[in-house]
Amino acid sequence: MRSEDARREILSAIRENLARGSSPPVPLSVPETGDVLSSPSPEGREGQGVRTFTERLAAVGAQCSVVRGEAEAAGALAGILSGAGARRVVGSDAPLVQRLLRPLRDRFEMAALDRLSRDDLFACDVGVTTAQWGIAETGTLVLESARERSRLLSLVPPIHVALLSTRCICESLGDGLAHVRQADSHAITFITGPSRTSDIELTLVVGVHGPQTVHVLLLEDV
Amino acid sequence: MSFDRDARTALADGQLRGALRHATTLFGERRRAAIADVPDWEGARDRARAIKDETLLHLDRYLEQFAANAERAGAQVHWARDAAQACDIIAGIAARRGARTVVKSKSMASEEIHLNAALAARGIAPVETDLGEYIVQLAGEKPSHIVVPAIHKTKGQIAALFAEKLGMEPSDDVAKLAAAARQALRRRFADADLGVSGVNFAVAETGTILILENEGNARLTTSLPRTHVALMGIEKVIPRFADLEVFLRLLPRSGTGQALTAYQSLLTGTKRHAADEGPEELHIVVLDNGRSRMLASPVTRQTLACIRCGACLNACPVYRQIGGHAYGSVYPGPIGAVLTPQLLGMGESAELPYASSLCGACRDVCPVKIDIPAVLLHLRAQAVARGGTTGTRALLERLAFASYAAVMARPRLFGWLMACARRLHIVPPLGAWTKWRDLRPLAPRSFRDEWRAGLRHEGGR
Repeated sequence: MRSEDARREILSAIRENLARGSSPPVPLSVPETGDVLSSPSPEGREGQGVRTFTERLAAVGAQCSVVRGEAEAAGALAGILSGAGARRVVGSDAPLVQRLLRPLRDRFEMAALDRLSRDDLFACDVGVTTAQWGIAETGTLVLESARERSRLLSLVPPIHVALLSTRCICESLGDGLAHVRQADSHAITFITGPSRTSDIELTLVVGVHGPQTVHVLLLEDV
Repeated sequence: MSFDRDARTALADGQLRGALRHATTLFGERRRAAIADVPDWEGARDRARAIKDETLLHLDRYLEQFAANAERAGAQVHWARDAAQACDIIAGIAARRGARTVVKSKSMASEEIHLNAALAARGIAPVETDLGEYIVQLAGEKPSHIVVPAIHKTKGQIAALFAEKLGMEPSDDVAKLAAAARQALRRRFADADLGVSGVNFAVAETGTILILENEGNARLTTSLPRTHVALMGIEKVIPRFADLEVFLRLLPRSGTGQALTAYQSLLTGTKRHAADEGPEELHIVVLDNGRSRMLASPVTRQTLACIRCGACLNACPVYRQIGGHAYGSVYPGPIGAVLTPQLLGMGESAELPYASSLCGACRDVCPVKIDIPAVLLHLRAQAVARGGTTGTRALLERLAFASYAAVMARPRLFGWLMACARRLHIVPPLGAWTKWRDLRPLAPRSFRDEWRAGLRHEGGR
């Protein structure tokens, strides 16, 4: 097979060229400094992570509402949907999303995830998902494919509403990478604010291919 | 290719130079502000470079590990010795999957292998979906900047282009232009059978590929079509999943001055269940195309540490004046001046290592501390060794430098020659240097004479 030949050729070319180089092929020590060991969380300051997270969300142009418990979340979600003038809404298969959207069925048209064609998806105004983690340092949402079907819902509709528990906010990017269950998820998506471009005269435009609006509903435990 | 001619054309283009000045200055400022937030930027650079060095010294092992883990997760890994093989592999996948329309997210490697032309020659229509790349493709032009490919075009020109090609009402409103592109590209995404993306990092430990972006087109490209092809150079591999952290700190800050780009997609193999979202097949094409050659020397090897952030372009006084087109290659700026001759061979681009004043600004901003001036000098030496200049010119050059060395080593001879030049009002001919600059006439007395006289004066007081 041709690719198999190419594989052998490339690997042997790498070995030959490395052998030609003067430096000895011993493992280099990688310095452990350099800001990459996640900075310890500020001791005993409960809620600091949440505050940083919401500040960063605002800085990257995402909306955020903090709610206590599911009842409040349902009310806030209804407010976001009607405020945005949403008509067609699609929710992920996460149980929380399903529970929050069920009472809103008579106010908005709900697209069924299981029979969602590409055209149906393109016609939705809002996608509602959960996020598995939030990263305070950067205001980032982390979505794991093993946990729910949210990959397209968080991307195609012009508005993405993400539900996140305040318990799932971690301090740093390194913490976020350490938390994701990489082995289970074929796709992990980090989302930091709305879709953006500066490709025309360096003028910022949001919502070029992905959502124009990202709204995070932060759920505090009751 | 003629760097000299194309650089002159660029220098005469006032609009291009204005746009370049604006873009490179803005990105430079944003980068500076973004790295000020990082407690130990230098440490992060050192660590990233050490990880790259470690990887490159064991590249065979890490590539095999990456391929094995990616295949275990359901990806199909293909190996391409050169551009033609890579194009054949991708066109073959497209043919087998019956793909007519191919959507692409930004990939420097795909431009390096001229994938679009190769696909078009086989009757497959590739559509660039990054807004800047889309504009450049519609206009039938080439990208002028790694991060903002259409920086050479004004919104007025883009409006005229969209009016002609997309039939939109001409508008100066950038948001409206972006919305028109979104709409046109949504149709392409809906039709596409195959998505082609690049790869920013490939994790050996897990077989994961990571793609960074801001627009969301790479997410669409890698999740809507039934088949996803990811093209990566052999140097994209890093050992461990946790290593991503340091690179995610360095790359967006260096490239666009963001703490993080809007999206990172971490893709490991294919979907696990039929009902899951995402493509049925993931093909990863591993490309050599001249890269393994660079491993042979520690000087050239560091070229492979590059993470394609574009910071060296924005910092380079040459690039800031002439932009990307003059380099005549996919990779412009300082990194292009070292990468292109090594990828294509010196015969194709022997001028490029000279497209630099060796000021070192590129080395200072490089997030992985590539000593680009050292590589430039190494390549210049190669160009000379293989007879870059020949005949009378070489002879004259050798003569000139031999005389210069002789004079500079003899202070009295130097003094005497300068005194003659002063008396005769001769300014030595300095070729290209004096062609565009006025050299001031020699002062009536040399500094050394003034100094000596001054000392005598002081002493006499």
